[in-house]
Amino acid sequence: MTTDDSETIVRFENVGLRYGLGPEVLQDVTFSLAAGSFHFLVGDSGAGKSSLLKLIYLALKPSRGLISLFGRDIATTPRRELPAMRRRVGVVFQEFRLLNHLSAFDNVALPLRIAGVRKSDIQKHVVELLSWVGLKDHLDARPPTLSGGQQQRVSIARAVISRPKLLLADEPTGNVDDRMAMRLLHLFEELNKLGTTVIIATHNSHLVEKMGFPKMHLDEGWMEIVGADTDRASVPPASEPGPGGGLFDDGEEDEIRPDLEKLF
Amino acid sequence: MFARRSDLPLDKDALSRFLPWLIAFMVFLAILAMAGMLVLNATASRWDQGIRSTLTVQIMPAEDPAKDDERLQAVLSVLAQLPEIDRYETLTDDRLMKLLEPWLGPAAGSRDLPLPRLVDVELKTGAVLNAEVLSRQLAALVPGTSVDDHRIWLKRLVRLIQTVEGLATLVLAFIALATVGTVVFTTRTGLDIHREAIEILHLIGAQDSYVAGQFASRAFSLGLKGGFFGLLLAVPTLLGIGYLAQQMDSNLLPEITLGPVHWSVLAGLPLVVSLIAMVTARITVMKTLSRML
Repeated sequence: MTTDDSETIVRFENVGLRYGLGPEVLQDVTFSLAAGSFHFLVGDSGAGKSSLLKLIYLALKPSRGLISLFGRDIATTPRRELPAMRRRVGVVFQEFRLLNHLSAFDNVALPLRIAGVRKSDIQKHVVELLSWVGLKDHLDARPPTLSGGQQQRVSIARAVISRPKLLLADEPTGNVDDRMAMRLLHLFEELNKLGTTVIIATHNSHLVEKMGFPKMHLDEGWMEIVGADTDRASVPPASEPGPGGGLFDDGEEDEIRPDLEKLF
Repeated sequence: MFARRSDLPLDKDALSRFLPWLIAFMVFLAILAMAGMLVLNATASRWDQGIRSTLTVQIMPAEDPAKDDERLQAVLSVLAQLPEIDRYETLTDDRLMKLLEPWLGPAAGSRDLPLPRLVDVELKTGAVLNAEVLSRQLAALVPGTSVDDHRIWLKRLVRLIQTVEGLATLVLAFIALATVGTVVFTTRTGLDIHREAIEILHLIGAQDSYVAGQFASRAFSLGLKGGFFGLLLAVPTLLGIGYLAQQMDSNLLPEITLGPVHWSVLAGLPLVVSLIAMVTARITVMKTLSRML
């Protein structure tokens, strides 16, 4: 591979992962993702999609191989520097993983609070983002009182609130209707246009085909990238519309496409 | 919206339920031990001061009572020349009788009883006088004269008090250790209970210190709460002990009173224990989290 490290957000080289003494759930996974790329991560249940994402968001260590994130080998990066790297990664967990004792507002505000953002800024951005995902009336609601779809939107808002460099989403549209799914995907797409690298793990092949972004296909622990022009999967520069452009009728698109300058 | 300061539901776990009570108990014991230590310390230094600064010269009665005064004057003239001596005073016969009365009964009042003459000597502050040398010098001049060195018996008493004081310090150290152990245990329990939430905070990018800070500030506020209750229980107990000691009216018991400085020290104990709890919780969390990825 002829990848320039300065432009590479994620790089895997011969990565293998096994849990305990079990079989390898990921085998010799090798790929690199350029800054600003957009990929769907597809594969059957149990193919290792969530494990791959966990390796990228530093929740797991690989059993073998090299992983580099933002150009840094995570094996040699001191532990104290990992939180700063994690703050550049937004994660939408499949099971949401919201803090049930905190309100929707506080859950979304958490990444900003951890990053030391001023209270007044947190208030403004969190309210606007939650309004955009349709939860303006649920700012003070605790997650257990919200529906699955609403919790998913809180989870997405938490992942994108700090405009991460890398966004990982595990089945982010699994609990919402088609219209909200498109609305959320547009949010990811707009973030991608502003330079965020996006990986979305999904079972929704219809959605994947419709948006037309390259696929990272996992099959029994092996991975191949499908639909990329080169050996390095990437999408056109941020200023150009991605393959997903034109998914909606003109009027509808205006309504559901977010104005990120206003949101963040 | 910012009403909650903690990102972890720490007010609902074992740490919050048990720690204040345990700390209240620890602070109660610590205050009693510390009060005992302060009283004994004051008594020991008072007695220690007494040891160093007083002597008693005893002149045995001569066979010829007419010579008693002469012998006394000879001794006093020696004492007057010693630069270490600040003041000396010959005990009057009446005072001597009074001293003997508890031992001899009314017979002490008999003028026929040959009594030694006693001279109470007070040394200058910081002055050192070898009582043995003085005793030999006076005995050579006036046979039957001796110097009663208070150090011999007071020293033992002071040593005893210092030993008890040391034990009280040891008790305080054990209380501190027990507090640390309790906080470590409850913090670890809290870490287990909130493992999921802590992992989420980590994945969002929280430093260990961010999580540790939440546990530490919680332990501090619970420590203060418990410490305050401990103080509330200890104050009436101490006042009660002081009252009972006064009622006993015994000269043998040291004076059991606490000054304003002592009370301030005791009032500060809850804060000290809270700080111990805070630092312990922080260190425990930092150590535990350092094993996470």
